[in-house]
Amino acid sequence: MIRFPLKSKPRKFKYVLTGCGSGPQERVDFLKKMVTSLIRHERIEGRADKMHETRAYAEQLINLAIQHGDRHEPTMKMADEWLLEKDLVHKLFKVLAPRYQQYATAFTSVHLLPAEYPGQGRFKAVLELKGNPYPDIIPRERETRYLLTNILLSAAGRDFYAEQNRLQELNTKSETVVKDSQEVNTSYENNVSEISIKDNVKVASSTDNFKESDQTSVSK
Amino acid sequence: MAAKGLFNVQCKLLICDVGRILEPNNSISRPLLCYQQNRGKRIARPSKIAPRPWFVRKKATPHMKYLTEENKELLDNVALHQYKNQPSPLRDEPWPRNEWTPSVRRAGLLGVKIGVQPQWKKDGTRILCQLIQIVDNHVIRYTPPEEYQKSLGYKPMSPTCYGSLVVGAMSTHPWNYSKAYHNLFLEAGVPPKRKLTRFLITPDAAIQPGTPLSVHHFKVGQYVNCSAKTIARGFQGVMKRWGFSGGPASHGSTKFHRRPGSISSGMDRGIVKGKKMPGWMGNDWRTLSNVKIWRINTKYNVLYVSVGIPGPHHGYVRINDSVTHKIKQKYVEAGKQFPMPTYYEDDATEPYPEDIYDEELFPMTENSITFEQTE
Amino acid sequence: MPTMSGLYLFKQCPRLVPPVIDAAKCNIQLISRSLYTVPNETLEKQRTSPLNRNPELRKQSKHRVLNSKEVSEFRDRLPEFLPNPNPEHRDRISEILERQDMVNRRRNIDIPEFYVGSILAVTIADKYAPGKDGRFVGICIHREEHGLRHKFILRNVIDKQGVEIMYEMYNPLILKIEVLKQEKRLDDSLLYLRDCPLEYSYIPQDLKGQMIHKGVQVPVNKTKVPLGPRPWSQRWDRFDLKGVEEFTDWRSEKARIRALESRQHPQVAKPWEKVDLIKHYKENINPVEAEEIYGEVDKDSKNWKND
Repeated sequence: MIRFPLKSKPRKFKYVLTGCGSGPQERVDFLKKMVTSLIRHERIEGRADKMHETRAYAEQLINLAIQHGDRHEPTMKMADEWLLEKDLVHKLFKVLAPRYQQYATAFTSVHLLPAEYPGQGRFKAVLELKGNPYPDIIPRERETRYLLTNILLSAAGRDFYAEQNRLQELNTKSETVVKDSQEVNTSYENNVSEISIKDNVKVASSTDNFKESDQTSVSK
Repeated sequence: MAAKGLFNVQCKLLICDVGRILEPNNSISRPLLCYQQNRGKRIARPSKIAPRPWFVRKKATPHMKYLTEENKELLDNVALHQYKNQPSPLRDEPWPRNEWTPSVRRAGLLGVKIGVQPQWKKDGTRILCQLIQIVDNHVIRYTPPEEYQKSLGYKPMSPTCYGSLVVGAMSTHPWNYSKAYHNLFLEAGVPPKRKLTRFLITPDAAIQPGTPLSVHHFKVGQYVNCSAKTIARGFQGVMKRWGFSGGPASHGSTKFHRRPGSISSGMDRGIVKGKKMPGWMGNDWRTLSNVKIWRINTKYNVLYVSVGIPGPHHGYVRINDSVTHKIKQKYVEAGKQFPMPTYYEDDATEPYPEDIYDEELFPMTENSITFEQTE
Repeated sequence: MPTMSGLYLFKQCPRLVPPVIDAAKCNIQLISRSLYTVPNETLEKQRTSPLNRNPELRKQSKHRVLNSKEVSEFRDRLPEFLPNPNPEHRDRISEILERQDMVNRRRNIDIPEFYVGSILAVTIADKYAPGKDGRFVGICIHREEHGLRHKFILRNVIDKQGVEIMYEMYNPLILKIEVLKQEKRLDDSLLYLRDCPLEYSYIPQDLKGQMIHKGVQVPVNKTKVPLGPRPWSQRWDRFDLKGVEEFTDWRSEKARIRALESRQHPQVAKPWEKVDLIKHYKENINPVEAEEIYGEVDKDSKNWKND
């Protein structure tokens, strides 16, 4: 199962290789080259639309390898078709299939690069297999835990959860009282009690403050 | 003197209702802008795509980027807590409920098209049904006719007996929307909705803001009007857009296979307004009137309706009572009553079955059809 | 400091940009469907979100977990339970409702297991027939469509004339479906019988049914059929058919060579389609979803009617 949204129609490549045609056969030939180079180098760079298209084919090939293993004849044929360098067939079944056995996400990722300038203004992209030995493409995220917004929010969260626990205890007590007196409230009033309204006001005011502070921090 | 200058500005801005706005007692909360009438059959396409100038800004700037995951979860919990325990506007005294008459115009629903399936009648004929799901509909606001006429949503020269009622579908995550958009939902006490529509109703069918709407608003066997936006096809030629026959394929025709031909005659007349020409096709409101409701699924809030509603898969549909005089007379003769102003959960005396079928439709849970022998 | 190091790294790497659409494409974006439609994923989120008034929470179904061999058996036996794989027509709720209707129908009528190539007898209620019902015997030559639209074609010869009737499987007019002979053929579709001699699609109307042993593998009939003279309804020589003898009755030697050459032409043979992984993936429901669907079908099949 492919775990990212697929386009309903295949992308058409115009002039995939200089001097070659642009029909469906050339398209598949081009994709075979890209898939082999991806599995060889584990990270490749090129035009964004082509990277997106090769991603699906590489992922489906690994899917088949995981599903059927190397004893299945049709999958072996597919691997033989799609991997132009034959030593990579061994890598597909012995290295990649066990690596992605228990992944719940997609096996590959695409990162968009800035458009080429000077040039035709096309977007480029990096396609990589997950779990590769290279350093990460996306820089390590900033430590945002000690930002003012996060500190204030986490403090407010402690109060919020404490209040909720207290309210639950109160509700359980009040339910027993209601059962004793056998009073029947209407459905709307059952949910709403005075305490909860007060609590709402508190929470609303506190969140408003955070929003403002958040904006200021971002602007700074 | 300042007032005089202001008057000049307003006169330039407003074409139709100058006198009404200069009255001192009238207080209009919405911005005053020119409502220019577009004459002719077609209106320029970009003006239809752009939202109306008095709509508030919907999306907010994203601030969630720098928050840790625990804090994001906290904000989710706070939103849930806030909307679940909010004092409902319905706890006040309910509004008076009237009886249904043919002159009443009720509110409608906002649904989503989810597919087409075949169904069979009891005599064995096959029909196709459009499935429309109604996801989490609520009444957001009601403005009576007197106030509605002062607002900018009111079109000049249209009937004055209708108020407007706003219905919203699909409550969403509140942190993605602007504060101005939130304020629309203060009266109803519900989380902000993904999509809003307006229905023109008579004041005796007014519904209190905050009431949930469900499929039981309609009855099986009823006829409704469904309006939706057609599929956008971009800039199209005359043959696809209007069904012209084009030119001949051969016999010496050069570059004249898909052309419109002559547009007009005479130098003085010019082209008639509303002439069918190439241009933007689709993305336009169209209604299919008098559509029958064949079946209702109460578990998933799904309507089974005759096929032919415009628009693509998963498109929004406005569903409204039909206004045809003959159909209304049939209801009166049959002694039918519709839930007024809408269906409330307290009305139900017995639990509903999961599927409600029309009299003519074959229920799939029954044995197969047989015909009796007659001589 | 952690913050500074992050910034430093950011400068070193190539600038990553969000997927922005070209300025030239903005006009197209204005009329995009997102303004008046809901994408499938967001609709799914709306149905299950806790902010919804009656959130329809997804329950984990308690069906028996099927292995891949069982799933492929189900695909062969009950192909109509899988929805249309075209992503532009898919929706979870409508698929559930459709399956529910099919299951309800199967509780009232016994629809036996049959394949393309097996011999069936179907009785339907007919208003205009003398006994108010009609029975037809024939070979099943074709099965198509998904869900409630599933239909099959029966073929027979009556008065030296080929006759075909198409039945909708879930039509309530169908009173009874009998399997007289359960077998498979070498091909998935036998539409080429239209262009074969009539004796190959003739079945006597008073044929008696054979015993069907459950749990035994369905036998494959390996007869090969000769094609009649040209012209045919389709160019059968271009198809990769296993149940057809090689056609020898060409008009001339030149015509035979021309037909062979045209068969090997890339626009006809389309060798890239056999290799195309994603095309095959899109035309079939993937094994994970198929397992979910057939698991529930398997759980419900105990309540189905069995004569």
